[in-house]
Amino acid sequence: MIYQQVINGLMLGASYSLVAIGYTLIFGVLGLLYFAHGEVFMVGAFVGLYLVLYAGANIYVALLGATIACAMLGIMSVYVAVRPVAKDRPLAPLISTIGLTIVLQNLAVYTFGGQQVGFPETIKQQLFTFGPITISSVQLFILGVAVLLMVSLWFFIERTRIGRAIRATAENHETAALLGVDVNKVVLITFAIGSGIAGIAGVLDGVKNSGISPFMGVSVAVKGLIVMLLGGLGNVPGAMVAGLMLGMIEILSSAYIGTTSRDLFSFLILILILLYKPTGLFGTRTAEER
Amino acid sequence: MFDGLLDGYTRSILIFAGINVIAAYSFFAPFKTGQVSLGQAGFMAVGAYMSAILTQKFGVPFAAALVAGGLVAGIVGFLVGFPALRIRGIYLLLLTLGFGEIIQVIALSWEYVGGAQGFRQITYNPRTLDYVAGLIVVLIVFFARLERSSLGRAMDSIHQDETAAEVMGIDVVRTKLFAFALGALIAGLAGGLYAHQATFMDSTTFNIMIAVEILMFVVVGGSSTYWGPLLGAGFLTLLPEFLRTLREWLEYVPVSWTKDFPMKQAYDVLHNFLDFENAKRLIVYGLILIVMMILRPDGLLTRDALRRFSWSKLSPRRKPRHV
Repeated sequence: MIYQQVINGLMLGASYSLVAIGYTLIFGVLGLLYFAHGEVFMVGAFVGLYLVLYAGANIYVALLGATIACAMLGIMSVYVAVRPVAKDRPLAPLISTIGLTIVLQNLAVYTFGGQQVGFPETIKQQLFTFGPITISSVQLFILGVAVLLMVSLWFFIERTRIGRAIRATAENHETAALLGVDVNKVVLITFAIGSGIAGIAGVLDGVKNSGISPFMGVSVAVKGLIVMLLGGLGNVPGAMVAGLMLGMIEILSSAYIGTTSRDLFSFLILILILLYKPTGLFGTRTAEER
Repeated sequence: MFDGLLDGYTRSILIFAGINVIAAYSFFAPFKTGQVSLGQAGFMAVGAYMSAILTQKFGVPFAAALVAGGLVAGIVGFLVGFPALRIRGIYLLLLTLGFGEIIQVIALSWEYVGGAQGFRQITYNPRTLDYVAGLIVVLIVFFARLERSSLGRAMDSIHQDETAAEVMGIDVVRTKLFAFALGALIAGLAGGLYAHQATFMDSTTFNIMIAVEILMFVVVGGSSTYWGPLLGAGFLTLLPEFLRTLREWLEYVPVSWTKDFPMKQAYDVLHNFLDFENAKRLIVYGLILIVMMILRPDGLLTRDALRRFSWSKLSPRRKPRHV
């Protein structure tokens, strides 16, 4: 039983991690709480659904399509809600991305209706048993994709030139620009990567819960914020670990204490972290003390 | 008051617009010291549940229950405000957001107030409009007086530079705490009024999007002057109603004018556009928010704009001092 719950916790945590990675990448580079990220996640799920339903795509094509669509959405949101906004007011970009959140969510309600939509079965259901653990093919697929994404992202950030440029920009905009980093391009790349990953997370969530709705973004957005804070603002590996932790905590507390305590626990963690360890469990990556 | 003048629909629209105005002022109070709170919906919930428990379960008169709900929300605000003093900016935003979510979880799991079924059959208060109108007047007078008082100036200076304010001898802790608790109290009153008008609420009534909408009222209206929340909340809440009225007028246009090619299409487009269901209303809100942040990040009304139109220009006034 406990093994099963651990698997469930990892599944939930993987989607939190994937969303929080985008948050924390964007926060690291721009110092911006990018509120619309949960809605990007939702858009990704709908793009995946429509590719499967109307283009007859298999799950890989759906994932790829959602990634591309969400990456483009991320780049578009830079041009619409981040770049033109007044630079001298710290609140302005936050509020404009809140505006974008409202627009995206309600465009989805307007287009797809406010109801939950079923996600067709795209992966053949099969059960594998490893000793005490039973794991379904869907779960295996989701975990596999999530782990693959996280490992390759870690490699990308730590080992490639662009990854180094992203880290340098997160450290200090001016210095990075002086050293020849094209900061504007780095911002666009960061948004594209973060949003693309959120899109994948959205499709995976649809596959897992076999249903999506335009309102799925809000709760994921809030949980993603908690994970980002828990892992340390701007800290990508921190967000990965913290996401898995939060998923475990939620599943275990709802299994052994009660379903409503699940959200209570995550928000209590949020508040405790804010009060006693605002740098998160693994330290922040941003140079500036906020 | 207003009994003979308004039909039921207009009344309820005005009441909800007024409650939004009050909620906007509840955001405005802590924001005056630079504290951005996404927990105002949570404080509304505290006031709403408290006052509804008092009227429905204990038969307390509405006015007393409303005040009690506001006070309890204020006390909760004081308690939340204490830890909130240590943090600012994004961290404060996240803290208040977490507070709002915790209130929702409590409302969901507390069976005494209906739990997941929601709080049903709250005593309807027929005189809500009078209370709303009265409270708005009180709030405007209060904030107008505050702006010219030493406390108000202390708040403004904390907003601009907390360290400088502290150096000048302002008690930053007390002022910020006061502003936060005051905001919570006002939100509690708004919640109590809402509960006894809607007569039903559940854990999702005061959700995060409500808190975001409250923030939006102040940001769109203008956060540097006390007229801003009134303008923002009034404008955004009544906008769909104005457009709906326009649509009704559109239907008086004679059919013979609009049956041919260009006019018919124009009529249909306009007719569809003015049909404002909730999703469309919110899309327009979101767009307004983005455009506002690009064009007028300080809101529609700013202190400078007010000064340009003020009467004091006509009267002789002191030369500005240069420091």
